[in-house]
Amino acid sequence: MIRRFTSRQTSRFATPSLVAVLMAAGLSMSALAVASSNSDKDDDAVDTSAAGEYLVEDGKVDPDTYEGYIAYTRSCQACHGPDGLGSSFAPNLVRASERRDFAEFARTIAGGREVQPGQVMPAFADDPYVLGNLENIYSYMRGRAAGDIGRGRPRIIEHLEEEISDETLEAEEKLEDEAS
Amino acid sequence: MHLKMSCALAAAGLLAVTAATTHANDSLMELLENDDLWATQLGNYQGHRYSKLSDINRDNVNNLRPAWQFSTGVLRGHEGGPLYVGDGRLYIHTPFPNKVFALDLEEDGRVIWSYEPDQDSRVIPVMCCDTVNRGVAYADGKIFLNQADNTVVALNAEDGEVLWEVSNGDHTQGETMTMSPLVVHDKVIVGVSGGEYGIRGHLTAYDIETGEMAWRGYSQGPDSEVLIDPETTLMMGEPIGEADLGVTTWPDGEWERGGGAPWGWVTYDPELDLIYYGTGNPGTWNPDQRAIDGEPADNKWGITVFARDPNTGETKWVYQKVPFDEWDYDGVNENVLIDVEVDGENRKGLAIIDRTGFGFLMDRENGELITVEKFAPETNWATHYDMETGRPVLDEDYSPFTQGVDVNTTDICPTAMGAKNMQPSSFSPETGLMYAGINRICMNYEPFETDYVAGQPYVGATLTMMPAPVENGGMEGRMGSFIAWDPVAGEVVWEVDERFAVWSGALTTAGDLAFYGTLEGYVKAVDIENGEELWRFKTPSGIIGNVNTFRHEGKQYIAVLSGVGGWAGIGLAAGLEDPEEGLGAVGVFSALSDYTELGGVLTVFELPDS
Repeated sequence: MIRRFTSRQTSRFATPSLVAVLMAAGLSMSALAVASSNSDKDDDAVDTSAAGEYLVEDGKVDPDTYEGYIAYTRSCQACHGPDGLGSSFAPNLVRASERRDFAEFARTIAGGREVQPGQVMPAFADDPYVLGNLENIYSYMRGRAAGDIGRGRPRIIEHLEEEISDETLEAEEKLEDEAS
Repeated sequence: MHLKMSCALAAAGLLAVTAATTHANDSLMELLENDDLWATQLGNYQGHRYSKLSDINRDNVNNLRPAWQFSTGVLRGHEGGPLYVGDGRLYIHTPFPNKVFALDLEEDGRVIWSYEPDQDSRVIPVMCCDTVNRGVAYADGKIFLNQADNTVVALNAEDGEVLWEVSNGDHTQGETMTMSPLVVHDKVIVGVSGGEYGIRGHLTAYDIETGEMAWRGYSQGPDSEVLIDPETTLMMGEPIGEADLGVTTWPDGEWERGGGAPWGWVTYDPELDLIYYGTGNPGTWNPDQRAIDGEPADNKWGITVFARDPNTGETKWVYQKVPFDEWDYDGVNENVLIDVEVDGENRKGLAIIDRTGFGFLMDRENGELITVEKFAPETNWATHYDMETGRPVLDEDYSPFTQGVDVNTTDICPTAMGAKNMQPSSFSPETGLMYAGINRICMNYEPFETDYVAGQPYVGATLTMMPAPVENGGMEGRMGSFIAWDPVAGEVVWEVDERFAVWSGALTTAGDLAFYGTLEGYVKAVDIENGEELWRFKTPSGIIGNVNTFRHEGKQYIAVLSGVGGWAGIGLAAGLEDPEEGLGAVGVFSALSDYTELGGVLTVFELPDS
């Protein structure tokens, strides 16, 4: 079964207003630029949706960062290679996330970049799945860059997953109660 | 097992057949029978990639030197190779933007004409494994090109003018084109790519004069669209019997995004008048989403060898190499048509050095299995093939479906790249052996539930790769080999290890030589008898193209496109993981980026004038 994160399903797809902002010429990203360092990460923090923030415990990550890995694998890996390490033709995004703040990172994803004819970073401005995961992808890359997240598919920190499962379970029980 | 080759045959046998029953494409047949030429990507209709030329041979190949080089101006992975049809020019192509050049052999590659289509660059992100193209085809004065954006175009070989073009698909739905077309009779046969984007695969024939569609055979769905007749189409030598297996072997409606892209090579037997090709992976890599009521389902006709009538597309026989794929073992590898003696009997054979790690020998008249053996001994997903049912016998330790969704099934061999990917093999009728570059890479594979969104990746599994275990004193950490394979006995005769996967198409010649390229960029010539290296040259970039040969004005040349990329350029660029190390180990094994960089270059080799 797919892991369900009922509290975050909205984050998988960008809101219309976010899409509108990104599609606008000039890509006014300042409102989205929540560049942050991971040095002040709080082990108790559950909400790590801010771009660049992530939580790692025993090599496991928070659910949003995990979504960043999945989104990367699904939409970026075909060019940028496994685990963000780059390919023969597309750059290493782990290093890119060190050099670029979130605004610049997001601007490139949304607007694309033509290095030369045939070597093109496509624009993802009309891809709600990617746009909805910009922060998560950036968080995943920052975690990779800091050496906190290794190669391959990370696991999710159990208590965060359990909390969600408990919420889901309670919601389902409530529904069943109402039905009966 | 004793093996006697009786293979001058495809050509000789063909001549014996009357023109009334056999006319293939007359002008192309004539070119293919001319030993001086290299008129189709695989060298001949049978896919032998063998040349009778012997001016360059075991005794003088160490003198081989570059005559001239030509930069294509395109950076990404250059698959396929140059054609020589006897008009004094080499025809070459590039990855996206899919340029085509006619280069003058009399003037060291002066550009006689070039063609560059105007394509929507949004096709790039829906190409799973680099923007590759496996080359153009030639017939009747026309060059045929499959563009990335699904345009099939016919160019006038004289001046590069567009004669016609037709759209074979829609990249906004994840459909693209990478394969090399094949001309048979008055039709050009093309296949679609996009198995990682939930497309529905098909092979299509267009009229070479007008571009009008003649037929299209899908890889799944109702028999009427696959062009199967369950009463007459054979499977394991018997009529299929049951109708619409391309629908009923899938969970509800999943066949509509069932992949099965025929993105590899097409071969043709002029005598039987049948074309042969294989289909790719059946849709999402998560097998759980292709199961019916929690049980494995065959997902026909993914990973299947098709024998079709080139005139109508009707399916003569099918053989599904991997029912219910759990590993992304696309079945597109070339079906090499060889006539062999098996247990004293002459058989019209079809040999595959397959993605699965198994070498197949089949009867190409009816699709019966003759021999199935591992050419890559590390292969562990299946212990063997049941010769009665034609099915692989799985090892559940390496079955991601058995292990479960969200479970990381480890140390599966070979990797999803296959023990051999698209790099075409060669068959020497003199030795009776096949020669191929192969991959020695294993993987961990973890399926996860994924949603289908049109035009988006539909993969549903993550994988990590590591070099295959080394046995018998092989090179430590090696990721590839070049092998000589006995297709009848099912045995490796010799092998040479390489640092990286050997992603380049092989060539053998009557000069007792086998040629191939490496991902570091070497072109190598080895002794066809034992694999001993006789010559090497370092081209400017890694080689994923095919080594071709031809003779112009009495002089033999060897030519190859270098330009690293393809899936190899994605998966191996940063190096593989060391399975012994924990998280964070990077580049323990060789990284391709330490050896080579991008750039498409054609290099033409010659012997010095004596």
